[in-house]
Amino acid sequence: MKFWGVRLLSFVLAFGFVYGLDVVTQTAFPNLYRLAVLAGLYVTLAVSLNLINGITGQFSIGHAAFYMIGAYAAGFVSQHMYASQPLGPVLWLVVMMAVGAVFAAIAGIVVGLPSLRLRGDYLAIVTLGFGEIMRIVVQNVDPLGGAYGLNVKPFGEPPKILWLVWLLAVLCIAVCRNLLKTSHGLPFIAVREDEVASAAMGVKTSSVKVTAFVIGSAFAGAAGALLAHSETFISPDTFKMDVSFIILTMVVLGGTGSITGSIMAAVALFAIPEWLRTMQVMIPGSSIVAGILAVGIMVSGFRWVQNNYHESVSKRIGAYLACVVGAAVAAVVLSFVLAFIPQLAQQRLDVAMLRMVIFSMVLIILMLLRPQGVFAHHEFSWDWLSKVLRARKGVTA
Amino acid sequence: MNLVAGLDFSILPQQLANGLLLGAIYALIALGYTMVYGVLRLINFAHGEVFMLGSYAALFTSWALGFTPEALKNGAEKPSSWMVLALMLVVSMVVCGLIGVVIERLAYRPMRNQPRIASLITAIGVSLFLQYAGGLFLPQSPPPAISEQVNPYRKDSDNVRLTLKDAPAALKAQAKLLDAEAGKAEAAYRASEQQDPPGHTTAATEDLRQKYQTLERSAQKVEGEVNGQSVKLNIPFGQLIMLITTIVLMLILRHIVMYTRTGRAMRAVSHDFDSASLMGIDVNNVVTVTFLIGSALAGAGAMMYATFLRTNLTPFLGVTPGVKAFVAAVLGGIGNIPGAALGGILMGVVETLVIWLGFSGYKDAVAFVVLIAVLLFRPGGLLGSSKVEKV
Amino acid sequence: MLEIDNLDVYYGAIQALNGVTLNVQEGEVVSIIGSNGAGKSTLLRTVSGLNRPREGAIRFKGSEIQGTAPDKIVRMGISQSPEGRRIFTNMTVQENLQLGAFTRTDNEIQSDMEKVMDKFPRIRERLKQSAGTLSGGEQQMLAICRALMSRPKLLLLDEPSMGLAPNLVTEIFNIIGELHKDGVTILLVEQNANRALEIADRAYVLETGHIVLEGNGRDLLTNPKVKEAYLGG
Repeated sequence: MKFWGVRLLSFVLAFGFVYGLDVVTQTAFPNLYRLAVLAGLYVTLAVSLNLINGITGQFSIGHAAFYMIGAYAAGFVSQHMYASQPLGPVLWLVVMMAVGAVFAAIAGIVVGLPSLRLRGDYLAIVTLGFGEIMRIVVQNVDPLGGAYGLNVKPFGEPPKILWLVWLLAVLCIAVCRNLLKTSHGLPFIAVREDEVASAAMGVKTSSVKVTAFVIGSAFAGAAGALLAHSETFISPDTFKMDVSFIILTMVVLGGTGSITGSIMAAVALFAIPEWLRTMQVMIPGSSIVAGILAVGIMVSGFRWVQNNYHESVSKRIGAYLACVVGAAVAAVVLSFVLAFIPQLAQQRLDVAMLRMVIFSMVLIILMLLRPQGVFAHHEFSWDWLSKVLRARKGVTA
Repeated sequence: MNLVAGLDFSILPQQLANGLLLGAIYALIALGYTMVYGVLRLINFAHGEVFMLGSYAALFTSWALGFTPEALKNGAEKPSSWMVLALMLVVSMVVCGLIGVVIERLAYRPMRNQPRIASLITAIGVSLFLQYAGGLFLPQSPPPAISEQVNPYRKDSDNVRLTLKDAPAALKAQAKLLDAEAGKAEAAYRASEQQDPPGHTTAATEDLRQKYQTLERSAQKVEGEVNGQSVKLNIPFGQLIMLITTIVLMLILRHIVMYTRTGRAMRAVSHDFDSASLMGIDVNNVVTVTFLIGSALAGAGAMMYATFLRTNLTPFLGVTPGVKAFVAAVLGGIGNIPGAALGGILMGVVETLVIWLGFSGYKDAVAFVVLIAVLLFRPGGLLGSSKVEKV
Repeated sequence: MLEIDNLDVYYGAIQALNGVTLNVQEGEVVSIIGSNGAGKSTLLRTVSGLNRPREGAIRFKGSEIQGTAPDKIVRMGISQSPEGRRIFTNMTVQENLQLGAFTRTDNEIQSDMEKVMDKFPRIRERLKQSAGTLSGGEQQMLAICRALMSRPKLLLLDEPSMGLAPNLVTEIFNIIGELHKDGVTILLVEQNANRALEIADRAYVLETGHIVLEGNGRDLLTNPKVKEAYLGG
């Protein structure tokens, strides 16, 4: 009884969240509508890659390929066939998601099969290579728009599909979560932990690996279909290697194997660069160099505290604070000193570049300070929430 | 049939030579990937960016030696010599070597005992950081290129020409004869034209003109046949230097790895970290030396890539050669030094062959196609061992 | 010569050694016996600096060496032939021996190599061969030779009889006996308790990270507890 109650609650909350998000964003923050769509797509991508990479342990770094295949398959079909069918826009979008998912799943099988033969880094390279091959092929195929890209405007106006995007994300999360928490998921985790041992226990490692690839890539494909329709324009440049890296980073940064971590990291890593994009301040080059150096100092301080300072928690926090203050002082001093170098002080500033500099620094620093990922292997769950709430009550009582 | 018919086999050897030269650069970069992987089992994604910084080091050296765009404006000439090239090579190797060591010390060493995927993400982070921080501070628009005047051997007359296969002597004689006759016919026609009244062409002149044109056409046709049947190579001297430098560097590397104490330590560490340290080998030192050598080789490649291939420099120029060199390293069997050299050269040759076949749009994809094909049939790479690996 | 004092070693949250105290005097052969997972290899790895102890001290000739880098410990004169031999199979036998002498810069390396090979004639025959082509027994001999090449003051041997046929085990233990006669100090870790106790001056019994028994090798051989647990009744 409790089981179904919790499940029902989850469903209701999920639908409520998705619907509410769409309405609130449309009415209150119309400027953020597109960003919210993209964030939802990234959540789907990160969670689906987490299934392949984190849960099943197959080192795939070419997830953008499936995203692209879904986008192009759905975009092409939509552009040519929408006019000659009776479905409404919403049903049509659902059909297109299925089309994207099917094509990407087929690609998933194609990539999953070598994973039966290859392991570790070699598999990573093959997935990376597959992504590049697909991208270059699309670049050279004229019916798909070649290097110029493909317009996807079956409805004329770009559709408002934030709710559909996040519904897909919720579905993806639900599938992965259920896989992880039920006995269906045990073979996947077994393959991650020790392939030889799980094969010896009777796990069909081949079908597990291919299944992971198929499910993961199908979700990425469906996300691609939604991207094509919401952006109304896709080009091979949308799906470069960097996109694969960013998705992979989301998975690892959140904590490999943790769905909660993937979701959080996807939203955060998507938001940081977008937020930085809005900052249009002028900073001299000398201050940037000073800032980078100061962050370096701070991180080495943090690492020193982590490794060598085994005092009480409050003293450790004090030590961390001391690092922050020290770094801030160093930043001020350094920016004064460096301002004497004219080439640096007069450096023009490219905001787009600065954005990625900060992004990459966040990446390196997080990995240095918490290599197991922010959430490590922990998950959010209702049990956990009630435990925390109860503990809180116990403290206050 | 159609495919083959459109191909020009007489330029194939030239294409192969070009591929070899390009492959030499890939091989130099691939060596760095393979050495680092051999020792740390880490795909050093930042290696392509070290290569990029190396080409900028070469550019700045050339500027320091007076080959700045300002100094060479309006067609000003500045004499160069081989010493300029040597200095650029050394500076770029030293700079890259140091950068590689610093990257290892700051970003990779703290990750040594962490899961491999975490170090991989760090490597991606370092790579992005160098690209975009480079974008903030390095000159890039319009992309500067190293001045051609740095290369003292840039003239066409310095090129090395080789005739691999000559046309039959009879055909060549015929071509010469026809050429002479056409010359005579032209002279006759011009003379007749001179005698004609201005603005009017006599029938005799018209006759001569047609005779001359027919001869000229058949002379050209035979000339074309001669060219089609002979096979020639034309290699810029600078690229020849590049190839020789690459070979010398590889031989030095081979000597270091196979026959010196340091090389023996490197091989020991790459085989077994713990066992090597039980021999009294300072593993950290060995890793530092590995990064130093690997990055310096990339620096050498970068200098030659930027100077002799007349590449425009941008902070993102390391990405494509980096990925290809990395593929080359895997192709040869990652961790395997001769494999990297072989893979690099193969990669260069295959790439030019694809262009020759008329699929230049696919030249960046073919690297991966070859790679996947090789890995599926020989999972350890061409020269690597195919032992199963647990990540 | 070697004193280990109250050593605690952890792998993450799991404690592998708990308050281990033992000592080795100059010229002795000391054996440590115990079953799989008792912490024998961990002990040797910690002495060599491959693991860091959380608590306790390791003193070698009076100076504390816990937490020192492994290569520095080798330079001080502690050499180990690790569990599972771990020879460099990608190199020749000769290169393996040269690596054994990595810390040395004197000019007696060649003559030492001759001496070692006099003791192990089979190694001489295989000198130019790739180490990976050696048989298990030969690989074990090579591992011991390699450890000897650094002229150690203290030799750590981790399971030298593992995976070898009985006649080879005899051969290996004969060699250990000879090394003992030559005056090499040896700390030996073994599952083959019988042989290890026979050869030892003194011995310790390690169980789940604790030293549970210690004493003269001969005495332990006849100890009823040891007999029951390690010598097959």
